[in-house]
Amino acid sequence: MKTLIPLAMAVVVLALIPLWVESPYALHIFILLFIGIALGESWNVVGGFAGQYSVGHSAWYGIGAYGAFILLQKINLAPWFGVWVAVALSVLAALAVGFITFRLRGPYFVLASIAVAEIIRLLALNTKDLTNGAEGILSPDLPPLKLGGAVITDWNSKIPYFYMGLAMALFCIAVNFAVKRSKLGYYLQAIREDQDAAHSLGIPPTLSKNAALAISAACTALVGSFAAFYVGFIEPQQVFGIDVSIQMVLTAIIGGIGTVAGPVLGAVVLVLISEGLRTTIAQAHLLVYGILVIVVILVMPDGFLGFISQRLRRKAAVE
Amino acid sequence: MSALLEVRSVSKFFGGVKANQDVSFSVESGIVLGLIGPNGAGKTTLFNCITGFYPPSRGDVFFEGKRINGLSPDQVCKLGMVRTWQKVRPLAKLTVLDNAVVGALCRTSSVAEAKKIALEQLRVVGLEKRAPALAGGLPIGERKKLELARVLATRPRMILLDEVMGGLNARESEEIIDLILAVKKRGLTQVVIEHDMKAIVRTCDRIVVLNSGEKLAEGSPQQIVNDPRVMTAYLGDSGGAKA
Amino acid sequence: MAVLLQSVLSGVLIGGVYALIGVGLTLIFGVMRVINFAQGELVMVGMYCTFWVFVLLGVDPFLSVVVTMPALFLLGALLQRTLINRVLDALPQNQILLTIGIGLVLSNLAMLAFTSDYRILSTSYSSSSVGLGGIRLSTPLLYCFLITAAITAALYWFLVKTDVGHAIRATAQDRDAAQLMGVNVRHMGVLAFGLGAALAGAAGALVAPTYYIYPQVGSAFTLKAFVVVVLGGMGSIIGATLGGVLIGVAESLSGTYIGSGWKDLCVYAIFLLVLLLKPSGLLGKSRM
Repeated sequence: MKTLIPLAMAVVVLALIPLWVESPYALHIFILLFIGIALGESWNVVGGFAGQYSVGHSAWYGIGAYGAFILLQKINLAPWFGVWVAVALSVLAALAVGFITFRLRGPYFVLASIAVAEIIRLLALNTKDLTNGAEGILSPDLPPLKLGGAVITDWNSKIPYFYMGLAMALFCIAVNFAVKRSKLGYYLQAIREDQDAAHSLGIPPTLSKNAALAISAACTALVGSFAAFYVGFIEPQQVFGIDVSIQMVLTAIIGGIGTVAGPVLGAVVLVLISEGLRTTIAQAHLLVYGILVIVVILVMPDGFLGFISQRLRRKAAVE
Repeated sequence: MSALLEVRSVSKFFGGVKANQDVSFSVESGIVLGLIGPNGAGKTTLFNCITGFYPPSRGDVFFEGKRINGLSPDQVCKLGMVRTWQKVRPLAKLTVLDNAVVGALCRTSSVAEAKKIALEQLRVVGLEKRAPALAGGLPIGERKKLELARVLATRPRMILLDEVMGGLNARESEEIIDLILAVKKRGLTQVVIEHDMKAIVRTCDRIVVLNSGEKLAEGSPQQIVNDPRVMTAYLGDSGGAKA
Repeated sequence: MAVLLQSVLSGVLIGGVYALIGVGLTLIFGVMRVINFAQGELVMVGMYCTFWVFVLLGVDPFLSVVVTMPALFLLGALLQRTLINRVLDALPQNQILLTIGIGLVLSNLAMLAFTSDYRILSTSYSSSSVGLGGIRLSTPLLYCFLITAAITAALYWFLVKTDVGHAIRATAQDRDAAQLMGVNVRHMGVLAFGLGAALAGAAGALVAPTYYIYPQVGSAFTLKAFVVVVLGGMGSIIGATLGGVLIGVAESLSGTYIGSGWKDLCVYAIFLLVLLLKPSGLLGKSRM
């Protein structure tokens, strides 16, 4: 509860930012940050809590993106409805995949998750009638968002995206929070620590892992559709590629895997690095990501937060 | 009189290896049954078969009159039978309290309720002061107690303890013996795998002896301790009784 | 019928390369239980080495293999000593992430150094082919296969006939027992990673005349190598060899009969099937 007050204050401050900050670039950075946070938190449910390191989450991201885009393009379904359909599709796909792949443990599961995402990417690439293949889809114009008769926004500036992004990040953080203190959260963490011991204590491993995956995939797909509309263009490599998956994993790992605050920290670090390097050496941010992964795994496998809390624990033990 | 647990002609083969061969015994409600035998006798394999980690290759297991072959471990736990592990398995990154909460959540969906049950079981085993500590940092004696608290939190009818005194010193073993007797007073049925003959004799109502996967003998502690075949089985093996 | 045979034979030829990469991967896994996600990037490094040696010194790729392999061996040994060695006891997931990180660093260093431009290494015989009955086989692929076979045979001889080879196999079978017998298991780890990298480098050198060379080419090789290894059985060299050929043939057949856009998809689908039905693979178990 005592974290709630500073959190609420932070949210209020963030919400007021578009009033002071006019630069579209600055708003853009915030939006990237919100997307990063939301994705990291989404991945955390299945990767951090359940310990199932999926490196194929781009599958759900892409289904969210393509789903919403195609629905708008082909049957004119407004994004705020289309997104939910895309999310539902993503969850169904995730459950099918989870049912198959959760029998695999540790590294085999990682490999399978990568293969699944690749398969979906190749499917998107090859079903040209539906997805336009490698040429991708340019976002159709978003219809204005109306409530009652009044137009709230017609999406012509970054500000509505800023608020949507913020809402999405907060939503994913809230989901994380809720899962962590729920029965499912305990079960997932038990599975992560020792699946056989958990099994003997009455925990159904496959069911629990699938529940986590469904939640994770739903959140990821939600963010995927949002990000797709924000960027305005999607193609298979961009949304289904392994870079997206790696970024999600990195965000959670750098900050502190299995914690709620970890992905926030991770997203801040990654977005700042990638934007900071954009002016100097454009593609080098992936290089820095690689170095960061290596450093984190070798020096602080529990992420920055884990590192800090370990230090604090040691200090407390000594005193 | 129907037994709580009935093991009928259970055999378990792994390829060509006969881990268990035609083992039968029953456990009445409320007693403590000792399961002893030299290392490699098939005791833990039997536990794994009974609790659903793998099904028996032949034979049946009945719990409360129901045939439970092929049920998964979580289903067996829900029915009321749960086991501890020979090599202790704490949920290392969770706190002592959370470990017990995981067990308690077997019976309730409310985390608050589970915390109450968990705390109660921690008190029973004497770990309530260690509730906020990380389970991974506990010494072996406390880990064993935590495992006991965890299974008790699942509100079982029967617990299977696999060498719960392994690696403990005399004082810690005494505490475990007291706990086993206290748990018995509460009405729980127990099957205990142990090597410490003194502890076995003090806690068990009946003993089943396994050797090379087969049941060698069954009887009261007096009978078993004086049975020459049991002596041979143990002395013929390099591992053995702590007595 | 000729089409079928053509497709199968082409598949066998390219399968040899997949086998080489897979053998490197399985060797590393067998000895250290580490899943090297940067294997494909090591192939990429081999490709670039070969390319620059060809462009700057004019040495034919099938000859410069003798230089590329030791160079990659050193790189592999260095990576093992400085990085991999520290995570031998970590969670397998963390090990994979570490190697993914290494892969990212390698491919992006290549991008910074050489740009993302596709490079093509064309030799005088790049587009020529050899006739065999009614079938035409690409000359570079044929050379590639022959050299691959030679390397695999040499590796096999090394593992079975030499003391060091025995030591490696002992370490793979039972690390503790090997250590008790006097094997320096740390050195074995370095050796295994070095060898694995050398094999990847060789594969890169051998396919350089046939594939486009660019920094991201590694990731497809990595994934295919995993399919090969899982199919053959993690830790089994014969398995990886067999698996490589099988995957090459499967890829070639699906390319011919379903469509070239679908061949990768078929390979990954096979992967999932194997993981589900027989995760230990055809010859699975940690014996080499």
